[in-house]
Amino acid sequence: MSTVTYPIMGDESFTFRATGMSCVVPDAASSTDDGRKGHEIFHGVDFSIGGGEIVDLVGPSGSGKSSLLTAFARLNPHASGTLMLEGRDSGEFTPQQWRRAVAYLPQKPILPGDTVADAIRVPWTLAVRGDAERTRGPARFFRTNERRARELLPDSRIRETLDAMGCADINLSRPPHDLSGGQAARVSLARTLLTEPTVLLADEVDAGLDDENAEKVADIMAQAASGGMAIVRIRHRPPDGRAHRIATLADGRLTMRIVGDDSVKETV
Amino acid sequence: MTGNSYNIDVWGLLVALAMVAVAAGISELMRISIGKTLLWSACRALLQLCAMGFVVGYVIRANNVWLVLAVIAVMLVAAVQITLSRAKGVPKGLAGPVLLSLTITMLLMISLVTELVVRPHPWYAPQLVVPLTGMLLGNTVSALAVGLSRFYESMDERRDEIDTMLALGASAWEAARPSIVSSIRLGLLPTTATLASCGIVTIPGMMAGQVIAGGDPINAAKYQFVVFAAIAALTLVADTLIMTMVYRTCFTADDQFRPASER
Repeated sequence: MSTVTYPIMGDESFTFRATGMSCVVPDAASSTDDGRKGHEIFHGVDFSIGGGEIVDLVGPSGSGKSSLLTAFARLNPHASGTLMLEGRDSGEFTPQQWRRAVAYLPQKPILPGDTVADAIRVPWTLAVRGDAERTRGPARFFRTNERRARELLPDSRIRETLDAMGCADINLSRPPHDLSGGQAARVSLARTLLTEPTVLLADEVDAGLDDENAEKVADIMAQAASGGMAIVRIRHRPPDGRAHRIATLADGRLTMRIVGDDSVKETV
Repeated sequence: MTGNSYNIDVWGLLVALAMVAVAAGISELMRISIGKTLLWSACRALLQLCAMGFVVGYVIRANNVWLVLAVIAVMLVAAVQITLSRAKGVPKGLAGPVLLSLTITMLLMISLVTELVVRPHPWYAPQLVVPLTGMLLGNTVSALAVGLSRFYESMDERRDEIDTMLALGASAWEAARPSIVSSIRLGLLPTTATLASCGIVTIPGMMAGQVIAGGDPINAAKYQFVVFAAIAALTLVADTLIMTMVYRTCFTADDQFRPASER
């Protein structure tokens, strides 16, 4: 099994590393080579990414790109493998701490709440971003943390971020379901970027957007990467020149190509 | 009991059955085709109620603590079975949590209402404990069945939202919370509606029964209020307990959403 090394950064400087990732979806009709019941999506996939890097993940539909990203975020119940973040094994994190650092951004923007501001503040209502002196006892189960979320992320900060992302037209007090597809995608992206994850796993967030909006989204992500965020993008559009490497997932295998280099390296 | 009570003889029961039969006959003529079910249910109800009457009568006469506990145990088991058969779309293996939450609320009911409010002698007074348990269970069973059905339905509807919440770092509880809240609200709806309408629109069954049997209406009202208050509070307790016990069935050990087909 060969590990892809990215020549610019040394092995040890990888922010995020996944080894031996496999995914078997339960299915009574078929079985894998090692006799487990189910349909194997990928097997023994290795992947790593450094801070500030953008990697595009491409491949035919149904090849398991989304399954791979959800596996990276520990959201995929059918996946297994070893995950490391900044030298620490994923077992040292609670699932919530892990997902706070390794953020999966789903393709479909889901914006719960009455206003755009509420939808963006959802992550700050969660315990994982809470302060130490939280309510103890059963009350914590039913307490909503909207007030705290408002303190942690004031409207002015959201406004600034949206303006910087070319979303000056989005009013914070609007109901989220009034947004257009492109606006909703950008709001959803803004929400995850504001949480400042170490690794961003963006699952086709520019799907269904026109070229202009897709370009805006790509710009926003490139800007985040320049600030040190590691970004994996699933894309179906032609390369936009922002990715440093392109990973192709096909037939359960991941191949890696460095942009501007014709050699293709493979992980099993 | 003070005052007079008026007994119903066999002819009275027959008149009541005849009323149902006539109504059923009319519905058949109108081709509503509910007559058969109606008549059949009425006969079943008559038999069940008479049987209940005999059992309760026997238990009261025997005045034995073990017999009272045995009757309550049978009612609990039946309540679990009815809850699970009425709740739709729930995974298997919920009998334990349902039994536990019903048992806890039932014990609370007996210890608070019976021993703190009414204080009968002996403490297990069957004429009090058995009907109270029955009324409590009747209410919690429907609240639990509605609450459980709604919870799983809501979790499946909110699948995308839950996945997003989890991706943003939500714990299983945080992701499930909106579904838990909506199912508890729905389960409690009939209870709060009854509380609000009683005394204005309806004379509740228990109070009506006491008044017809010749009891003092004020006394009956007091009893009715205590029972309603206890039922409302304990239904909320039962629903909350069951939700905290079952919400994890929708998640894996690693706080990932578990779809309906894999629960």
